[in-house]
Amino acid sequence: MTELRTRLAFYPAIVLVYAILLVPLVIVIATSLTVQSAPTIPTDGLTLDWYVSLFQNQRLIDAMIVSTIVASATAVVAGIVGTITAFGFVRAEVRMKETFATLMLLPLMISPVITGVAFLRFGGLLAIPRGYPQIILAHSILALPFVFLIVRSRLLTFDERLEDASMIMGANRLETTFNVTIPVIAPAMIAGMLIAFVISFGEFTATQFLVTPSTTTVPIIIFNQIQTGLSPEISALATTLVAIMIIVSVLGDRISS
Amino acid sequence: MNLGTVRLPEMPSLSMLRDRSTAKLLMAIGLGWLTIFFIVPVVVLLFESLNFGEGSLLENYSTALSGTYLRTLGRTMAYAFITTIVCLVLAYWIAYYIAFKAKRQMLMLGFVLLPLWVAIIIRYFGVSLFFLPTGPVQQTFGTDFGVLFSTTGVIVGLTSALLPFAILPIYNSLQSIDEELINASQVLGARPMSTLRTVIFPLSLSGVIASALFVYILAAGSFLAPAILGGPGDFMMANVIEQSFSYSIPLAAALSVVFTVALLILIGIFNHYANISEVLGDL
Repeated sequence: MTELRTRLAFYPAIVLVYAILLVPLVIVIATSLTVQSAPTIPTDGLTLDWYVSLFQNQRLIDAMIVSTIVASATAVVAGIVGTITAFGFVRAEVRMKETFATLMLLPLMISPVITGVAFLRFGGLLAIPRGYPQIILAHSILALPFVFLIVRSRLLTFDERLEDASMIMGANRLETTFNVTIPVIAPAMIAGMLIAFVISFGEFTATQFLVTPSTTTVPIIIFNQIQTGLSPEISALATTLVAIMIIVSVLGDRISS
Repeated sequence: MNLGTVRLPEMPSLSMLRDRSTAKLLMAIGLGWLTIFFIVPVVVLLFESLNFGEGSLLENYSTALSGTYLRTLGRTMAYAFITTIVCLVLAYWIAYYIAFKAKRQMLMLGFVLLPLWVAIIIRYFGVSLFFLPTGPVQQTFGTDFGVLFSTTGVIVGLTSALLPFAILPIYNSLQSIDEELINASQVLGARPMSTLRTVIFPLSLSGVIASALFVYILAAGSFLAPAILGGPGDFMMANVIEQSFSYSIPLAAALSVVFTVALLILIGIFNHYANISEVLGDL
């Protein structure tokens, strides 16, 4: 009897929540396989034609290359800066540490539109070249809070006695850093880099201000195509993007664990 | 029998990385990076919003705080508020189930996390495909029930995009409640609903606050949900800033400042009741 009541009380929530979360993804993937020329749910056969035309479109291939370059560079920059910062925050003893930690989260709180506008003006002022340098720097700022939070939460469990043990056994500081500290931090850093890659790969809002014709990223193309007219090709492109992100996340998960 | 205690000689801290000055230096590198590439650009934007030419210094602000722009600010805050309420209700409902009733907790959590790996633009695109004339809703019912290109569309989209951020903190806080407390309440004769109200809910409040804060901030700053799923009357601050940027950078700057200040005031009021970095640190 209670079993039945639990079901009645929670099944609507389960259906509603997972529908809201997952139906959009399923639809994008399903419509990329349609035989129609409009993005419909395929009921009369499946085709991979839209993927074929996708990979014959030089503009889209270029955009995928640009996105991959930007996301990889962002992962490196945000991963390094975020890990350094998180490490400092875990170890340092300073007053108002929590206030500084809140500051690190600012890029998360301020709308990416503002970040984009501010960065474009600032980049122009400091003569940071348009294209890759501006996009990568802006993306690393947007990803920084996430990298910081993830690496910090992982480092809190770092047993500092490992370093002491290494030094007591006779290793010098440099050896301890390279043989103990870095191998222990590395998985946390890789997890952070992964997040940065994924954020950069899908970022649209700030990026729209910073792209140039030769550095157009995939989300920009998807947005423009949504505005101009729908073709199942957008679904195919979006599905490809999803596939790349999931492959990267699985790979990263393997490496970091 | 008392074996006594072995006293180790007092040893100085050996690790160089525990050395306070090194850690402080690393912290300073991070904060410096943030300052140069984020805080300074935003402050520069603040200067650009001031009018040094003809007319009053704050001319752009009088525009930014007038008529349509003020209404847009109000609309932004209202949409973010509605989204937060919808997300919290759904999130608490499902998080409660996953934490206390579900048999396959990890699987259910995995499917909550999965959408976070997918670019937000693709998720909004999926929502629009669902309601478009070619999508399953209109194919089946012949109508989109007025969802697409409307306020409802924006709220549905934002809910879909931000729900994982609402579920995770609430789930974490429910998960960490000591079950003994729940058992005690039941042993003492409380009905399930009153256990929920007097024991479980107060103990999960930190998670609820974290969820609310996260969803509200992200919803208020959204550009894509109104752009893809809203009608022309559903523009939010991010869209208005983007639009005005193409014809008047000082106005876009003033709008950015107004929006950020309004949001920071709200966050400040909020911070008065709950410490943000503590709340977000739990994530």
